Parts: sequence; structure tokens; C-alpha cells
Amino acid sequence: MNSKASASLDEQVAQSLYAQRERIYPREVHGMYATMRVLAVVVLLGLFYGVLWLHWDGQQLLLFDLPARRFHIFGLTLFPQDFFFLSAILIIGALTLFFFTALAGRLWCGYACPQTVWTEVFLWIERKVEGDRRNQMKLDKLPWAGRKLVVKATKHGIWILLSLWTGFTFVGYFTPVLELGARLMTWELGPWEFFWVFFYGFATYGNAGWMREQVCIYMCPYARFQSAMFDKNTLVISYDTARGESRGARRRSTDARAAGLGDCIDCTMCVQVCPTGIDIRDGLQYQCIACAACVDACDRVMDKMGYDKGLIRYTTENALSGEQVKILRPRVIIYAIGLLALVAAVGYGLVSRTPLALDVIRDRNTLYRETGEGLVENVYTLKLINMDDEDHRYEVTVSGIEGMQLRLDTDQIPVAAHEVLNVSARVRVDPYSLERASSTISFTLQSVDDRSLRVEEEARFLGPVPGKR
Amino acid sequence: MDPAGDASSMPLVQRISAVMWPAFLCAGVATGVFFTFFDPVVLLECEGEPPMSRMGAYTLGFFMFWSLCIVSSVGTSYFLGSRAR
Repeated sequence: MNSKASASLDEQVAQSLYAQRERIYPREVHGMYATMRVLAVVVLLGLFYGVLWLHWDGQQLLLFDLPARRFHIFGLTLFPQDFFFLSAILIIGALTLFFFTALAGRLWCGYACPQTVWTEVFLWIERKVEGDRRNQMKLDKLPWAGRKLVVKATKHGIWILLSLWTGFTFVGYFTPVLELGARLMTWELGPWEFFWVFFYGFATYGNAGWMREQVCIYMCPYARFQSAMFDKNTLVISYDTARGESRGARRRSTDARAAGLGDCIDCTMCVQVCPTGIDIRDGLQYQCIACAACVDACDRVMDKMGYDKGLIRYTTENALSGEQVKILRPRVIIYAIGLLALVAAVGYGLVSRTPLALDVIRDRNTLYRETGEGLVENVYTLKLINMDDEDHRYEVTVSGIEGMQLRLDTDQIPVAAHEVLNVSARVRVDPYSLERASSTISFTLQSVDDRSLRVEEEARFLGPVPGKR
Repeated sequence: MDPAGDASSMPLVQRISAVMWPAFLCAGVATGVFFTFFDPVVLLECEGEPPMSRMGAYTLGFFMFWSLCIVSSVGTSYFLGSRAR
């Protein structure tokens, strides 16, 4: 997607950054897309800071409970055994991103990416404390003393408080938040919780306060490969060169056509509002996060000049070159089919999932033991994992060798909801029914109160080599 | 940017990010996968190590993976940039 012009600009940017990164002071922008972004920021951050406090029946609705090794996702409880579902959900997330990218370009970057969302909030705080773009630039030129110190300290103070709250919220998704909050109040956070609150807080402060557009340009993998999902029908933000050139300042009363001018009055507003500091008039560039700030800014200028809006606008390469725009293209359809298939598969998997698991671990210390009656005995630890939301009673049976005997401490084993229980099991076999030294046997775990809850797990049974007994 | 990827012509921020960030992502994945299959509490018990909270073990595990991945990324960065000097 890079034109030659943008490649040379890349070099300029790289060069200038190598010397010293020039700070970008994005000018505040108003307009339809800015409103949409503010809306997205409010909704997304509202969700982030809010959802962790939602509880149902005393259970946090969204909690990736790392200390307890179980994930609660709106009534669904996943265990490490459900690793597949979590990976599938992540893949669905990635495919959704690809789908929307093919369709509408970098919507994610402009409205939903955490980097954009938090940077937007940090910029807002900066404007409230330091004033608009001009005041910020003036302030930065002042020597470090007096008012500048106070203003900067205030800004960073607010940033740091917000960052710490963000860190606390983040940790609250991984460890029950009510207990975490109570420990915070009494200043009794565990050392690791403390560490992660500060670590994530620091990351927020650093990325949204200091790194900003550099995260998108240097660190974001999506920014590098999103162009692979683009084609000539993908929505991009573009400057209408044919209409805009040749650019130049003029009075409002000037007849631009007669003066040989296009619609661009070269006010550089589009450059001033750009959070990544590029000039959209140089063509599509990978630094462009499609935030549409330049669209809003240019539309206002066009309004003031009495020209039509849309000199910079959401459009497609095909639309710009006068060709027909197709929405349903093979790549969009393929992404959509892949997405639907995966969602259906995961949905089916979740619905038909048996909320019960059995791990069988053979006693490592002895191969086998002969009992007083001359039977061969193997000892196992059975790990019963009740992933259901209700308590159940289970019974265990074993099969695979004729005449096997299973010894458990109890016939029926109660396991509470979401609990893991280790049970010791002894399996005894008459050595004459062993055909080989190592046989496959199968443990079956079945709920007594709900017969549909049933899982099987294979294990090895070791005995003497037949013929040597 | 130099298409040959000469690291010496890169801004420092980019070079540091290019090392730390992929290492961070890989460490995140490695930590997730590793601790999905191995419960640190059981692991420490089996190995006869002193017990530690899961949070602590996850954290140490993550930073161990991160350091390893950083070493790997530094290696890549170094060899990409190496020319006859």
C-alpha cells in the first residue's frame, strides 16, 4: 500500500526520529468521526472499568481466575482442560479482525484498539491540564520552573492515578476483584498482585502517555500485516488528489478554478490533527491508523470555505479511480464462512461439552505389588474434576482385563461444583489373566445423579511378564 | 526504512521495541500454554521445591520466558546488524 512518496516520507520520519523523535501535538478535532471515537472510548472503557464489578449469585461474571485455575465467562466455567475453547475463541477474535479489515480497513485501529482508546483519554487529560495544542507547544519551550513544573506535575499525577486504577482493574480480571479491593483498602495486597498493578499501570502510563503513535508504528504487528487483507475495495481514508490539487492558500472570495487551484487550501489542518503526524495528502501510508481525524478537520475547513465536504474521506481505491465498488468479494466471503464455521463449531462444542474430567496418574514409586492372595496390584491417583455448576456424586468403574477388582475408599464420591478431588484407587488382577506385562485399562467416571455425565480415561496396568511367573 | 533491515539505521526506540515486544508476546503465549498444562503448585511439590503462590509462580514463569525470549531477540537483532567492522 506504500507509494513512492510515502516511502520517502518513511525515510524522513525514520531519520528525524533517529536524531530525536519530534513530539507530535495532535490538535483537538470535532466532527462526526471524533464523536464516534469518543463514543467508542466511553463504551469500551466503561466496559473495561465496569464489567469486573458485575456479580451474579456471588460470582464475578467475567473472571480469569488464575490463582484458582478456572475461567468464569458469563456463567460458563472453563478449566485448563478446556484449553481448546479458549484458543478457538482467540482465533475467532483474530478472524473477526481480518473480516472487518477486509471490509472496512483499519476500523480497529481508529476506534477500538486499547492504544487508541487510552491515548485518547490521556490526550484529553493533557488538554484539560495544559491547554490546547498551541499552549502545549509554548509550555514545552519554557524552562523547567514555576508554572511549568506545577502543570506538568499535575498532568503526570492524574495520568499516574488513572494508570494505577487501570492496573488494579486489570488485575481484578485475574483474581477475584472484591477480595482484591478489600485487600487494597486495608493495604494488604499480596506482593505479586502489587507488582502486577504497578506493572500494568506503568505499561498504560508509558504507552498512552509517552509512546503513543510509536506503539502503532514500531510495535504493532497488525499495522504491519493489515495491508495483506486490503484490496481495491477496502474502505480507506484518502485525499482526493484530483479534486484537491493544485493546493494553495486563497481568499474565500477567490475563484479557485480561474486561479488554477484545486479545493485544498493547504491549511495543514489535516496534518495538525493527525495523531501519527503524517500528511494524508501524500497518499496511503502504513502509519495511518484510519482515525478519520483529518476527515473531520478537512470537512470543517471545506464548510468554512463553502466547498463540498469530502476532500479527505472514507473511500476505496476503486471508487477514487471511478471503478465499481464491490462489497462481496471472495476474501470477504472466505473470512465470513471461516468465521461462521468456527463460531458454529465452538458453539456446538460448548453445548455438547461434558462438564466432567478424569485424569489418571499411576503411582510412580512402584511398578506393581503382589498381594497376600497372589493378585497383582497397581495403585493410581484419580483426579476427579467437576466442571459443572452443581455438586455431584460419582462412581468409578474399571475395565480392560478379565476379573479386575477396583478398591476405593468409598463407593460414591461426592465432588462439589468446580472442585477437583484426588482419590486413591487400587486395581487388582489375577496374574493368570494378564496377557502381557503392560495392558491398557480404562477407568469410567459416571455421575450417580445425572447419568449423562460420563467420561472414560485410559491408563496402563503393569504386571509380571507372562511365562515368568 | 532500509529494506535490508539494517538495525544500525533504526531509531533506538524502534530497536528496543523490536527486541522487547515480540519477546513479550511470545513469553505471554509460552506462559499461557505452559501453565495450562502444568499446575505450578503440583510441579513445585513434585520437585520438592519450597511452595509458592500460583500468582508468584506465574509471574516468575512469565519473566523467565520473557528473559529467554529477549535473549533470542537480541541475538537476532545483533546478527542482522552485524557487518564487517
